[in-house]
Amino acid sequence: MKLFHKLLVFNLLGKGIFLLVFLMLSPYLLSQLIIDNTDEELLEKKEEVFKLIQKAGIENFISNENPEQGFGSYNILKEEYILLQAVPADFKVGQVISSEKRIIEEEEISYRVVADVIELDGVRYLLEIGRSLNTIDKIQGMFFQIAIGILFLFLAFSFLLDSAISKRIMAPFNKIIQTKISRINEPQEFHDKSIRSTTKEFELLDNAISEMMKRIQKSFNQERIFISHASHELKTPISILQSKLEAIFRDENLNSYQSEKLMDMQDTLQKMKKSVNALLLISKVNNAQFLKTETVDVKLVVEEIVEDWIEIAEEKDIVVKIGKIDPFIFSETNASLCQMMIQNALSNAVKYVQDGGVIILVGTKKEDAYELILENDGEGIDEDLINQVTNGLVFLKDVTKEKSGFGLQIMYKVALFLGVSLEIGSLKGKTRVCFRFPVEPQLV
Amino acid sequence: MRILLVEDERSLAKEIHDFLQSEQHVVDAVSTKKAASENLAFNSYDFVLVDLGLPDGDGLDLLQEMGRYQQDASVIILTARTEVDDKILGLESGADDYLSKPFSLLELKARMQAILRRKSGWKKDVIQLAGFEIYLNEPLISFEGQDIKLTKKEYILLQFMLINKNRVLNRFQLAEHLWGDHLDDDYQSNYIDVHVKNIRKKLGNYGPVDWLETVRGLGYKIIA
Repeated sequence: MKLFHKLLVFNLLGKGIFLLVFLMLSPYLLSQLIIDNTDEELLEKKEEVFKLIQKAGIENFISNENPEQGFGSYNILKEEYILLQAVPADFKVGQVISSEKRIIEEEEISYRVVADVIELDGVRYLLEIGRSLNTIDKIQGMFFQIAIGILFLFLAFSFLLDSAISKRIMAPFNKIIQTKISRINEPQEFHDKSIRSTTKEFELLDNAISEMMKRIQKSFNQERIFISHASHELKTPISILQSKLEAIFRDENLNSYQSEKLMDMQDTLQKMKKSVNALLLISKVNNAQFLKTETVDVKLVVEEIVEDWIEIAEEKDIVVKIGKIDPFIFSETNASLCQMMIQNALSNAVKYVQDGGVIILVGTKKEDAYELILENDGEGIDEDLINQVTNGLVFLKDVTKEKSGFGLQIMYKVALFLGVSLEIGSLKGKTRVCFRFPVEPQLV
Repeated sequence: MRILLVEDERSLAKEIHDFLQSEQHVVDAVSTKKAASENLAFNSYDFVLVDLGLPDGDGLDLLQEMGRYQQDASVIILTARTEVDDKILGLESGADDYLSKPFSLLELKARMQAILRRKSGWKKDVIQLAGFEIYLNEPLISFEGQDIKLTKKEYILLQFMLINKNRVLNRFQLAEHLWGDHLDDDYQSNYIDVHVKNIRKKLGNYGPVDWLETVRGLGYKIIA
């Protein structure tokens, strides 16, 4: 997941969690707020009523003739009521605010009630002012809806704002990643050009990557020069030896003993030449000294290689079966390396499959890759050898098979260079080599 | 043919010189860029074999001079350098081929002949051999008008042996010509023997192939 998307998701999640907690708490909070507000209003009304009683006199509310008959009043929708009634002298309850149920005209209604006792002319009176809780609930519901609406609007707006701001802030970072890391397949492709940014951290990152890439580039160039010199120093003497040997071979007066010794010398020279070539090839592949500008028809390459090797295989009674090979064009690659990689797999199989064995090649186009699988029966490749190869060891020697192991190493290094994933599985009696070619151009 | 050999490694230069002379060519061998420039200015050559790493400069520079003096000469770059850029630059500068050291002198001869055939544009470059007609410009061989089917590798092998007819070619040389340097092969295998056996079998169905000899312990030879 991209950092930009991650930031957006985390922002949204953070706000979402906050919103969820708020929504969960809001009924309680709103209720508390509204009740507090209602209580305050009721208390204010109570004070007003007290003042009114003191000013107008209690007799305007309760007649002297029937003091046991209190005063009661409620509005038409029974949303509020006032009750004033005389209470015994020992009635000592102070100011109380509570939620109570009252029956008005045979209807039970829940009220928020403020009750208090006043004493006038030695007589105690209980004053109750109530407001219907239904009204409070309605106000609470309304507030809740408004709050949800505002919060969702806030969430949507903040998401858009975050998205725009993050995009702008992250732009230099994305540019650094794209131009200095993702699109750089080989160190030679790196060009040092600062990315403009007002963010200090990005400037530091840009400089650090540039410095690191320059060091890698320098190291690659030094390695390239070394390989070039080593190549010259190693190949020229071999070339001289080879031409001298060939000159001696041209002498028609050689006896069989001399010829035999010369062949031995040539054999040794060829081994040396092969080792030098293999080591230099591996170094060159590691040093990315091959261009990847060609396209390869993998199916065609497989068919050509099989044609080259089928008769050699038949000589050992080995059956080479070409299964279903889907067509596939591997672009931006190196044709000769690609061919070498597949050929080494097949030649290796032909070499080590026992007489009468079977080699099967199958090429399957999948959604994200093209898989070319070569399976053969036989003794298989030693696991230690595979581990050595995948760990990048160069100097290998499979004593049991009297071979250098360069072939496997070259195959692995070439695959790595071409961006082909190589899996070598070796179970008892069966070896499976799987090349996974990337379907899309190699942009990370 | 007259050939200019530009190679600073004297020992190698001598072997190439002697080999080409034995092939009836006239060879001027020089070891510096300066000497090569002088030769190019005064003489006319059919072939220039040039090493890139010369003591007084880059062999690639000579290719530009050749554009002025030796427009008809064919060029093969001989080098131990490994860089792809050099190879591309060399071929782009007008070289006809590029031979990496160490190379077999027979390979050099085969490359020179291939360039000659390509440049002369011979349509009918055919070798007649005991009733067989072997075409050098296309993968085709026939016997008394009947086409014979060989695999590509078998044809390349036969062609290489024909170019070096009357000369023993050992398995190393043949294998190297077929697969180059990087085949994971220990050269002890019988791949070449299998190919030669198949060539004999396929051609033997049409006529005698006793002209393709096995030289015991050494390799193979075409007698023509």
